[in-house]
Amino acid sequence: MKSLRYKLGAAGTAAVLAVTLAACSGSGSDTDPATSGATGGSSAEPITLRVVSLIPGSDQAAFDAFDAQVAQFEAANPDIKIKSEEYEWTGPTFTAQLAGGTLPDVFTIPFTDGLTLIENGQLADITADFNKLDYADTFNPNVLAQVQDANGNVFGVPTAAYGSALHYNRALFEQAGLDPNSPPTTWDEVRADAKTISDKLGVAGFAQMAASNTGGWQLTVATYARGGRMEVENGGAVTVTADNEGTLKALQYLHDLRWDDNSMGADFLLDWGTVNQGFGAGQIGMYTSGSDIYTNLIQAQGMNPADYGATVIPLDGADSGTLGGGTIAAVNVKADDAHKAAAVRWMDFYYMQKLINKDAAVLDAKTLNESDQAVGVPALPIFDKATFDESRVWVKDYINVDQDHVSFFNDGIGAQALVPEPKAHTQELYAALDVVVQAVLTDKNADYTSMLKDVNKQIQSLIDAD
Amino acid sequence: MTTYSQVPPAVAEERVGPDANAKVGGTRRRIARRGGAPLFDSSERTLMSGFERRKRSVRFTLFAINALLLIVLLVAGLGPIIWLAKSAITPTQDTLRTPMEFFPGGTAWDNLWKAWVDVKISTQFLNTIWVAVGSWLVQMLVATTGGFALAILKPAYAKVVNALIIGTLLVPSVVLLVPLYLTILNPPLIGHSLINTFWAVWLPAGASAFNVVLMSRFMGGLPSEIFEAARVDGAGPFRLFWSLALPMSKPILGVVSIFAVLAAWKDYLWPLLVLRDPAIQPLSVRLPTLQQAIELDVYLAALAISTLIPIAIFLIFQRLILRGAGLGGAIKG
Amino acid sequence: MSSTTSRQRVTVVTRLTRWITGGGLSTLTFLLPLLLIFGIFSWWPILRAGVMSFQETNLVTSQWVGFDNFVKVFHDPSFFIAVKNTAYFALLALVFGYPVPLIGAVLISEVRRLKGLYTALAYLPVVVPPVVAVLLWKFFYSGSATGVFNTVLGWVGIGPQPWIQDAHMAMPSLVLAATWGAAGGTVIIYLAALTSVPPELYDAAEVDGAGIWRKLWNVTMPQLRGVLFITLILQIIGTAQVFLEPFLFTGGGPANATLTILLLIYRYAFQNSLGGDYGAATALSLMLAAFLAILSLVYFQATKRWSTS
Repeated sequence: MKSLRYKLGAAGTAAVLAVTLAACSGSGSDTDPATSGATGGSSAEPITLRVVSLIPGSDQAAFDAFDAQVAQFEAANPDIKIKSEEYEWTGPTFTAQLAGGTLPDVFTIPFTDGLTLIENGQLADITADFNKLDYADTFNPNVLAQVQDANGNVFGVPTAAYGSALHYNRALFEQAGLDPNSPPTTWDEVRADAKTISDKLGVAGFAQMAASNTGGWQLTVATYARGGRMEVENGGAVTVTADNEGTLKALQYLHDLRWDDNSMGADFLLDWGTVNQGFGAGQIGMYTSGSDIYTNLIQAQGMNPADYGATVIPLDGADSGTLGGGTIAAVNVKADDAHKAAAVRWMDFYYMQKLINKDAAVLDAKTLNESDQAVGVPALPIFDKATFDESRVWVKDYINVDQDHVSFFNDGIGAQALVPEPKAHTQELYAALDVVVQAVLTDKNADYTSMLKDVNKQIQSLIDAD
Repeated sequence: MTTYSQVPPAVAEERVGPDANAKVGGTRRRIARRGGAPLFDSSERTLMSGFERRKRSVRFTLFAINALLLIVLLVAGLGPIIWLAKSAITPTQDTLRTPMEFFPGGTAWDNLWKAWVDVKISTQFLNTIWVAVGSWLVQMLVATTGGFALAILKPAYAKVVNALIIGTLLVPSVVLLVPLYLTILNPPLIGHSLINTFWAVWLPAGASAFNVVLMSRFMGGLPSEIFEAARVDGAGPFRLFWSLALPMSKPILGVVSIFAVLAAWKDYLWPLLVLRDPAIQPLSVRLPTLQQAIELDVYLAALAISTLIPIAIFLIFQRLILRGAGLGGAIKG
Repeated sequence: MSSTTSRQRVTVVTRLTRWITGGGLSTLTFLLPLLLIFGIFSWWPILRAGVMSFQETNLVTSQWVGFDNFVKVFHDPSFFIAVKNTAYFALLALVFGYPVPLIGAVLISEVRRLKGLYTALAYLPVVVPPVVAVLLWKFFYSGSATGVFNTVLGWVGIGPQPWIQDAHMAMPSLVLAATWGAAGGTVIIYLAALTSVPPELYDAAEVDGAGIWRKLWNVTMPQLRGVLFITLILQIIGTAQVFLEPFLFTGGGPANATLTILLLIYRYAFQNSLGGDYGAATALSLMLAAFLAILSLVYFQATKRWSTS
């Protein structure tokens, strides 16, 4: 009997395990259902569209303003029901969600990754629905190129474009005896002002991001401003040139500010969020970042709006320019036609209308203003400058960002050449450059020239393997 | 020099008791003769003997060392926690400028309120409790049923299962990270991803070989006569489990439970990967990202709130925890 | 005892019935939670790790690439940096965190009054959730002159230190914070082992005229030998997998000075927002597992001669 029991018991266990293993190996990736509810439902039944709202940690007023706009959209489009979720574009989020089938229908991605995702076939082709928009052919061609593939098909809607700005704390300037209405216009002036601030006030006069890929990002900004380029394309072949003159000059500059002037404070592993936090808390005098960070500074970091000032990044030398970037609203590649159409309607309403339609712009600005959200943040035109200026005129009653404080940026950016981010393996390039920036800021004798050559090799091998 | 690993037979036979006539250690004999229990029973003693303790030089040195040790422990063990508690109710600027002073600018008790309500730490606090409770349940289910079956019911294939379970102890957890993540993305038998659900944290928590081994060892050590007697009385395995094995296993269940809850409270990397939505994230995952979104003093208040429960659990269940934590010490070589 | 002839006449159905009535099914039912949970969330992933290390996958399709992943990892400059840093961390952790709990435990075991207080204080840092501890210490380590530690250093006239902002100080700073959180657990283990030293041994030593130090060396230490050996290898295995401290303190910086193997695995798998290199990640984790397994084997072979019986 024992041997029989053994056999049956063993068989039973083996059966359980076998079923488990079979199910494991059998479950491929094709078990994911469509992302949203009713597929191709009757026109009477509203379809549910899952969209992203704001980044986690945004304050309640911002969420309230968003919900108000959702209500407006649903009122105008009774056949679409909006379901929103907080969303932040970070590491594991996208691929995991895409593979797991939990990616929202509409989500936002930065320009940096847009082209790669399009190449990988991970964004939905929305050309048909896009062309139905009446402003489809008035987009700034440089901006639109960020969402198109080689054949001109459209895979997303550009919703915002930014340049790089030099942000400075007007209050710190005043306290240090500098004139906040006359911000620095050359790199030497930046250096001098940084030293004044740090000597007089004991805070960092100038800060540089260095962690979580932002180090490479801002180093590229500094490189472009000095006429260098990280990657050079020659008829389809991309060569990594991280050790170009511009980068070398930029790193030497950082080295001098850090070790000779000691004007960069004591915290060097800053990323986008922590440098904003330091700036908002009055611990940093100046730094470079995207021109669109005002919202984060005022809301999340609680900065006093009167202290904020923005100007253009000093350009130095031929071929210099400012790094441009932006945000794309894209559609989940697994969405069906009904959801794609609904998605484009939502994107049109929420992201685009306020840029081209007076009533929509005024309503949007009014809603934001009433919940104390920023209106009039520095931005770059998605269409053309005339449209952009006009949209600002429409909402001028609601603008609560002091335009005098940012006039230096607004006036100067038009004259600066806009240079797009390096295209090939941008993330890996930025990550590798992070290491170089950190080394320069924390090790007095860092040999950044040879480190840059190593970066060249490393990223070039990734490019060649493609 | 001789090392003492084998107790010389002569000494072993002479255990000092209240009325013993000890042949070893003159002092001890003297103490015993004074009537009543000796000051330091041989069975209680540690490295230093009672005789040595009474020497003035030793007493003084010992006192100094103990005092120093206490100060070091207070500063190192308690210090950071006290600092956190203090800073949780201190305004940001004071913490930044004069971190070691006590409330130079007054207190800011509303930091705690702000953290709980505005930043909604309460949500993550509840999530952490949810995660802990669920993980505990799954662990209890797996360990008690599995341990019972392996130790009491003892099927013939128990050896294979036992070997497989102990085998997982030898595999460092890092190996599991990526494939387990992919399994959660595409679990068998379930069909859809478990990402962003609590199940993604609860279910893998049950696969703790340590728990199963503890339970099956303990249950195996229970007197088998009781089970035999119950079987004779016609009790089926479910009765044996529910009415006999479980109640008798209360001590080990207590230890395993406490450590399961503490482990769930402290878990970071795994929830970080599988719970992406802040609305269901536990405290440990939320706190690092929170730093950039809120002011420093509210942030420190949030940190302080997150330590409350584990410290409370520790203070209440101190004996149990310390005994369980020292389990490993009982195993030598 | 059924005879062979009667057994031959028994059908499969009868066998099944007998198995069920004999309690086999209920036993299997009891084991079902364990088998399912372990099967899906432990055994299968372990097997899958082995398989994935030989594949290149983007979660949608996979293809076999043989040993390519292992070669790729081996040739990655970050790999050697990570190995070096992990070894450095483990070494520092041994220097700081191995003798200190032992000394502490011996001292505490001699305390007569308030022993519970000492023990509780020693274990308190272990109870604090590691994330809170790291974030707290990150604040302590602020490099500005008004950082917590720098303020304390200022009391004794030492200038402000960069702590984790400096490529050379970063790793020791991490080890210090990690030791603070972990030492208490080791103290408790040693305390338990100390109380199980047979007191008669001390008596016998005193008979031979041994003083305090001699007793410590010739009684206590040999008795603790087993525990000491186990905690040593456990500590090495644990520190080899350090992730939280480098991740939350410095993200692997500055300039990869605190990049550890676990952090590198995380980077391979989860850092790139456009999809990770799961093959490389599993290959590296298997390499680490193999190394630790070999290390443990060698260790136990070498210490067999010296462990107490």
